[in-house]
Amino acid sequence: MNGHQIQSKIISMEIDVLNAVRQRTLDQWTDGPFVKESRLFFLLLPYFNGEQWSAKMDTSANTVAIVYAALHAHDKVKEEMPISKEQQLTVLAGDLYSGIYYQMLAKLKNMEMVQKLAAAIIQVSEKKASFHEHRVQQPEEVEETVKVIETALLNSFYEVSEFGNYRELMECSLLYQRYTDELEALKTGQFSYVLSLLSETMVHSSLIEQWLMERLDALSEQILLAANDCQLDFEVKAILLDQIIPHQHSAEQLTREG
Amino acid sequence: MEKMKLKLLYSDLKPELELIETELEQAVDSESLLLNEASLHLLQAGGKRIRPVFVLLAGKFGNYNVELLQKVAVPLELIHMASLVHDDVIDDSEIRRGRPTVKSEWNNSVAMYTGDFILARALERITEIDIPRVHDVLSKTLIEVCRGEIIQIEHKYRLDQSLRDYLRRIKRKTALLISSSCELGALVSGTDEKTAAHLRRFGYFIGMSFQIIDDILDFTASDEELGKPAGSDFIQGNITLPILYARRDPAIYRLLSENLEKDISDDKRLEIVRTIRSSSAVDEAKLMSSLYLEKALQELAYLPKGPATKTMRKIAFFIGKRKF
Repeated sequence: MNGHQIQSKIISMEIDVLNAVRQRTLDQWTDGPFVKESRLFFLLLPYFNGEQWSAKMDTSANTVAIVYAALHAHDKVKEEMPISKEQQLTVLAGDLYSGIYYQMLAKLKNMEMVQKLAAAIIQVSEKKASFHEHRVQQPEEVEETVKVIETALLNSFYEVSEFGNYRELMECSLLYQRYTDELEALKTGQFSYVLSLLSETMVHSSLIEQWLMERLDALSEQILLAANDCQLDFEVKAILLDQIIPHQHSAEQLTREG
Repeated sequence: MEKMKLKLLYSDLKPELELIETELEQAVDSESLLLNEASLHLLQAGGKRIRPVFVLLAGKFGNYNVELLQKVAVPLELIHMASLVHDDVIDDSEIRRGRPTVKSEWNNSVAMYTGDFILARALERITEIDIPRVHDVLSKTLIEVCRGEIIQIEHKYRLDQSLRDYLRRIKRKTALLISSSCELGALVSGTDEKTAAHLRRFGYFIGMSFQIIDDILDFTASDEELGKPAGSDFIQGNITLPILYARRDPAIYRLLSENLEKDISDDKRLEIVRTIRSSSAVDEAKLMSSLYLEKALQELAYLPKGPATKTMRKIAFFIGKRKF
């Protein structure tokens, strides 16, 4: 599968998600469903890599994307008072998306996926709540928190569809991408819950930067190994390294070695 | 007091409701202390548990199996709870059932996570039911309830909306979940289609009556009885049935339109509450509620006579007469 086909499939999935959740008032007042491209890429990775794929899997993958959009909408709810109409509708957009994912899976009679996705949402909510617990987390615990938030929903899909062999690659890549974003936030002085948690144990920002760089280095190596382990198609691997993880810390090195 | 009276009506279901209460507590158990605390905060604020009651009562018309019925009753109550915690963010509510809301005790983000967590627990539990129709009904209800809330926001501060707009809104906002509670209780108990349909319609009509009474009480009950300021609906821009009837008087229309979407004083709020209360709007709204109640009772007449029908009838009468 070439780069163009991969991009087309991702765009097609974005359109499917948009059509599935479309609602007139929400279209007018909210930003609409948003899912990071990297998450869509990993939802479709087994397909890109030539695994057996069915229409049922397509729908299941779409529902995972819808749940990502639901949780993203709720992440966008701010603390402003009084709450604006856009924000009120953003709350309801997330709730509506949740109802839609349940309905789509109910139509497929895929209760296993409903159950796994619900369990993943529980995990993600618990980890996000930990940002507000004012409890010191060691860096390893912070990493676990980030990993669950980034990957639990995708893992539920891999588990039900028996694509567990892509798990390591997906987890390392999404963690890599998140840490790249955190590094950027640190350098530009933006607030982030993850940085806030890390600052509890690493008093100076240079220590956080160093920790993030070290983790990025380690993850770079793990991504390469994992990509080889799951025998990633050459083109798919190139897309992953060049486009899906665009801010790669050691992108050149990865491409060379890969 | 009113809640106690209501609970007396279904005292026959006490052991089952105690089981459901325990299940609810277990359902909100979380490895996150914060989510656990926020969910219990909401759970322990109480509530009428009207949805589980209707599931159980509907179950009496088929093969009554509490183990099975609670698998529907608990998720339904959890869905209701999840919507409340998000509604409080939407409405900026500080107080619910006389207690600080989750968003006021913690913040909006925690309220969002709590709602997501509780809803996911509901869906996780409902998957234990292997009846496709149950999932069709429930997922459709979830979506329609959300759509109803979206429409409610769209209609906010619109004094010119029609009676039909209002009725369609409360159908989605309240009546559907009660109607589904009755239908799902019937479905998991294996009642015949006809009985399930009568129960669904009973739930729908009683839900409509219930919400109209709720909207009336927002003007007629005291702040203490409501556990929030009287007239909150108007302040939040929700145009309810008493307002729709009262607006026909030009003087009241002026008073309402001049104060809509404004940060009004407490004196002004009380003036509006007193004006609506002393108008004919309250009686007219009560009449509308009674009409729905009557329809609910007609549906009961099609069902076999017995203790469950009797309790449903008593609850219906109570809803029509409740004072807060």
